[in-house]
Amino acid sequence: MTANASSVKIENDNKQNGHVVVEMEHLKKSFGNNHVLRDINLKINKGENLVILGQSGTGKSVLIKCIVGLVDHDDGKLSILGQDISELKDDELIEIRKKIGFLFQSGALYDSMTAKENLEFPLRRQLRSISKEEMNSLVKEALQNVGLADAIDVTPSELSGGMRKRLGLARTLILKPEIMLYDEPTTGLDPITSKEISNLILEVQKIYNTTSIIITHDIDCVKRTANRIIVIKDGICAAEGSYTDLQNSADPWVRSFFE
Amino acid sequence: MEKIILQQSQNEHHETEIIPESFSETISDSVFKKFFLEVSSLTTFTLRFFKEVFKPPYEFNELMKQSFLIGYRSLPLIAITGFIIGIVLTIQSRPTLAKFGAESLLPAMVAVSIIREIGPAITALIFAGKVGSGIGAELASMNVTEQIDAMQVSGTNPFKYLVVTRVLSATLMLPVLVVFADAIGLFGSFIGVNLKGNVSAYLFFSQVFQSLEFQDLFPAFIKTFFFGFAIGLIGCYKGYNSNKGTEGVGKAANSAVVFGSLMVFIIDVIAVQITSLIQN
Repeated sequence: MTANASSVKIENDNKQNGHVVVEMEHLKKSFGNNHVLRDINLKINKGENLVILGQSGTGKSVLIKCIVGLVDHDDGKLSILGQDISELKDDELIEIRKKIGFLFQSGALYDSMTAKENLEFPLRRQLRSISKEEMNSLVKEALQNVGLADAIDVTPSELSGGMRKRLGLARTLILKPEIMLYDEPTTGLDPITSKEISNLILEVQKIYNTTSIIITHDIDCVKRTANRIIVIKDGICAAEGSYTDLQNSADPWVRSFFE
Repeated sequence: MEKIILQQSQNEHHETEIIPESFSETISDSVFKKFFLEVSSLTTFTLRFFKEVFKPPYEFNELMKQSFLIGYRSLPLIAITGFIIGIVLTIQSRPTLAKFGAESLLPAMVAVSIIREIGPAITALIFAGKVGSGIGAELASMNVTEQIDAMQVSGTNPFKYLVVTRVLSATLMLPVLVVFADAIGLFGSFIGVNLKGNVSAYLFFSQVFQSLEFQDLFPAFIKTFFFGFAIGLIGCYKGYNSNKGTEGVGKAANSAVVFGSLMVFIIDVIAVQITSLIQN
């Protein structure tokens, strides 16, 4: 190993030991003349629940899509688990993605498959040598964890909005990701189901020691789940702090999110 | 402790010079630009298909599943269409041949028509309507509901899993369906001949096989692979690159059928030219 490579490895190890799992420096992303992310600087620690707040269209979803490589950033540095994702080859990006779970706003469940098949899909793709018994046991466990044990043979179209979100969460968690990205996990749900989803996010953090980035407009969800909050405005991090800090912010615009 | 980060003034106004243009110039520019962008995008998509198709891992199970859905599930429609083509072509051709006293040539004429042109072309058009639109709508719907993104995030290559398998299935299944349609069409023709006559199955099919040559069968069979490939590829392209929103699903399904059918005719013209050049 060359001195340079060795120093990179040590730096990566330090980041893991120092518990920084996601790091962004001067991250920029534009769509034509629409500069969505202008200068995002952010470090996210292992086991932390970070909530991203901001008005609609401010690039919150674009930011988490950059993290998982669904959208390529234009400029700046984005490191996931110590690896700069803009330098990764396709195969390396796939390996990184295996460590990241993404709960889509709509659940993004495969319509043509039952709940069981939806959960089996990522297992089959990533653990190619897994036995049928092991797969059945993992599927049952994942469904039980989200309270959907009875819905094993049901197709997504037969499920309610809350159940779809929970099934989406089960599908994401079945591979035990190190980083979880939640895109508006409680949008469109009633207050009771929203509370259930928020509690599930907390349980996931406790059980798997997962690092989570949560995009939401639901202040109750923010209050329950956030260890730290950032507010995005005009493509930059306009404010950062705990729930109480930002609730009592000197900036009336920041405070307005919590009223 | 809360950190308030000072914002820079982001109000950037870009003034653009407005150059007066005639309406027709603007329209033709945008139409040409759109056309060339579409051709470029389709070419990139096709090249990506050829890059991914040979690269492991191979999605054999999905290929089998799609072949079943695309091939086996299309059999009833293809059978009905083939039978109707055979019977109608026979009934329509009989009076003309009878006028010239050539009624005995009816089985041969119908066989050559069905095998060389009508069987492959009509089956491909039906296939474009059923399978092309189905693939377009399915992939567009998956795109709209973020299922393709979900697949990508879970470490699966959605292009390989969804596009490569469907294009390969369409390419392999259409020739099989055409052979099936041709056979059913000839059976329909036999029924058509016997509506106003009494010809035994042995005599009918003897005349059919005597009239057919290798140069009738081979080019007609080969071109069906290209028909299937074009229909599958365009269906996948339209669905995979559809606009977000429910409108995008309808547009993808519609344009998959329109462009798929158009490609069938274009390939047919090219195939006929090549065949006649080789035969001459």
